[in-house]
Amino acid sequence: MTTLTLARPRTRPLISWRVRKLLIGYSYLVPAAFCLLATVVVPIILAIRMSLYADVLYKPQDYRFIGLGNYLRLIEDPVFWLSLRNSVVWVFGSVILQFVFGFAAALLLQQAFRGRALVRTLTLLPWIIPGVVVGLIWEWLYQPNYGVINDLLIRLGLMSERIAWLSSPDLAMAAVVFTNVWRGIPFFAIMLLAGLQAVPDELYEAAHVDGAGVFSRFWHITLPLLRPIIVVATATRIIWTFNYADLIFVMTGGGPANATQITSSYTLLQAYSSLDFGYAAALSVVLLVVMLAFTWAYLRVTKGVEETE
Amino acid sequence: MDEGASLSRRKLLHALGATGVIAAADLAWWDEPLIFPRRAWGAEPVRFQWSVPEPTRIALMNSLAERFNQSQKDFAVAIEYVPQAQARQKLISAITGGSPPDLCQAWDNWIGQFNGMGAVEDITARAKAWKYYADVAPTAWQTVTINDKIISLPLSVTLDGIYYRTDRLKELGLKAPTPDWTWDEFLALAKAFTKADKNQYGFGMRGSGTWALLYPSEYCYANGAEVLKDGKVAINSQEAIDALEWYLDLALKHKVTPPSAATDGFVEIVETFGRGVTSMYQHNSGSSGQQKKNVGAENFATLPVPIGPAKKRASFWFSETLTMFKGAKNKEGAWQFMSFMLDDEPSQKYCSTLGLLPARKSLLDRPEFAGDPALAGFVQSFPIGIVSPYLAYPGWGGRIDSDGVPLIQQAMLGKISAKDCLDRFAEILKKEMS
Repeated sequence: MTTLTLARPRTRPLISWRVRKLLIGYSYLVPAAFCLLATVVVPIILAIRMSLYADVLYKPQDYRFIGLGNYLRLIEDPVFWLSLRNSVVWVFGSVILQFVFGFAAALLLQQAFRGRALVRTLTLLPWIIPGVVVGLIWEWLYQPNYGVINDLLIRLGLMSERIAWLSSPDLAMAAVVFTNVWRGIPFFAIMLLAGLQAVPDELYEAAHVDGAGVFSRFWHITLPLLRPIIVVATATRIIWTFNYADLIFVMTGGGPANATQITSSYTLLQAYSSLDFGYAAALSVVLLVVMLAFTWAYLRVTKGVEETE
Repeated sequence: MDEGASLSRRKLLHALGATGVIAAADLAWWDEPLIFPRRAWGAEPVRFQWSVPEPTRIALMNSLAERFNQSQKDFAVAIEYVPQAQARQKLISAITGGSPPDLCQAWDNWIGQFNGMGAVEDITARAKAWKYYADVAPTAWQTVTINDKIISLPLSVTLDGIYYRTDRLKELGLKAPTPDWTWDEFLALAKAFTKADKNQYGFGMRGSGTWALLYPSEYCYANGAEVLKDGKVAINSQEAIDALEWYLDLALKHKVTPPSAATDGFVEIVETFGRGVTSMYQHNSGSSGQQKKNVGAENFATLPVPIGPAKKRASFWFSETLTMFKGAKNKEGAWQFMSFMLDDEPSQKYCSTLGLLPARKSLLDRPEFAGDPALAGFVQSFPIGIVSPYLAYPGWGGRIDSDGVPLIQQAMLGKISAKDCLDRFAEILKKEMS
């Protein structure tokens, strides 16, 4: 007698293999997402919440919900608008010059010459030194009474009177921007040098054979191929500089008469001098919105990185 | 029978031996420790935040804390050094985060804010029962008293005076100023010292930091003005405006100040004097030690601030305090260390090393202070010392830095008039009167 064994119908898994694969993929992201949530998203939400309260630390009895009160105060605060204007000068003045000189340095460092490795290492020095130390060094260099810059210029006969670089409202911003440019050139130089090294030589050779000059080769080969790096580097640097208050804090403290007060240093002043955390939080939120809007616009104008790839 | 559960003779001996070691370690910990120094059971160390502007203080405080720790065995004082520029921020962050140190060194213009945050321990009862209560100068107590509560111990006191170069006086054949000098004499001397072509200026005016606004305020008092009169802000009175105009003219009209004055802070005014760029500057006794090293004790002297047109003068009195926080885990220990720091020897050592003046009258009369020419101007300033009017409201301290200093800088640069500056500053102060 033959026995028939009926195949048991396979039980369908509760979650399909496709969904399970997807879930596994997402589960790998959970630790990173959790870290981001805890260190970025939650503080942002707390800052937004704080900005809606009257939260002056030494007046705990006045702590209350005031809605958009801090934002309305901000609109009427002339120092905020001045700091925003200063921030634009500080950011774009610094980044544009850093980019131009950094690009020039990258092109130079790309050339073959004796001692290139040493020069490349030395180029990094301003970037390696901590920002606060850079601020202190340059503050001493700019010192009008016994600083090296004035002394050199007088000895060279380029000026007769000592200039108070950081004490003059007309010169202070230019002086701190110059310092920031000095510090930031290596960042662009190294980023762009890495990009330049990835450009195939054949392209230049072919262009050369076709009769393209130096400028044409730069314009039609170097620049387009470096575009993704340029976009990422400038966007990162702009955001960085917008939030970077160390140099200004050390060199001028935002002075003289708020001439170098940028929004991030003003936020710090409101938080830690006036202890007005509600208002400082409102300033931070505005700073965040400005940076988000800028990044969106910048990536839109430059059409992002992906399209070139 | 389970062998593992039985107590063999060997195990018993081991257990007894271990118990003996533990007992020996615990024997009479209040006398000589047998194995290592012991602290009282449950006594927490005292966390003490100390702001450090320069290395001398670290060495000094280490030695004082070590001496205190050796003097008793119940607990230890652990010093947390913080750079002076970040000290206030660190304390505020710690208070906000709910973990302030037990004790801190802070200036009296900070503790109003800390007290407003509800973080400071009321030490009135301890202070009044303390053996040196009556010996501390009454004005020093005023600087640390809020709403009739004593919230700190004044470790040292500071009063503003004028430093001047005696060697340059001789070099230029000028007559030495006297302690009762006037604004006119001050200006004449500043002009005589100024040789701009040689990078020499009469007066190192301060344009940065809290005192950039406090110094001109003292000149306002010399002209009969006050910051707060009958409970109302009066810093923009005509007397105050005239005084500020006179003060600003030192830079704008007479040009007896270095071109960098608008951003010169503590370091710059002290350095330029030490390097011979300026021949006078205003500060408290705290930089006298540094000037002894910079220019030599025989080459400078100090005077009280000059007398103004109203035949008055005032020097704002500040105290460097030891402040205990409400959340202190070892309050008794913190108090013991605070009072130790104001004992004869530690207090004298601390103040004489740093060029500060002790808050205790009996110490101030000692020759180390009363007989030092570098401190003479400050000792002579005690009769004109008043508690800083900006301590009246806790919010004023912060507003001086965030709003007052930029205003005075604008005035120093001639961007706004003295009247504009004081009117705007008065409005800011009015908003913070709560």
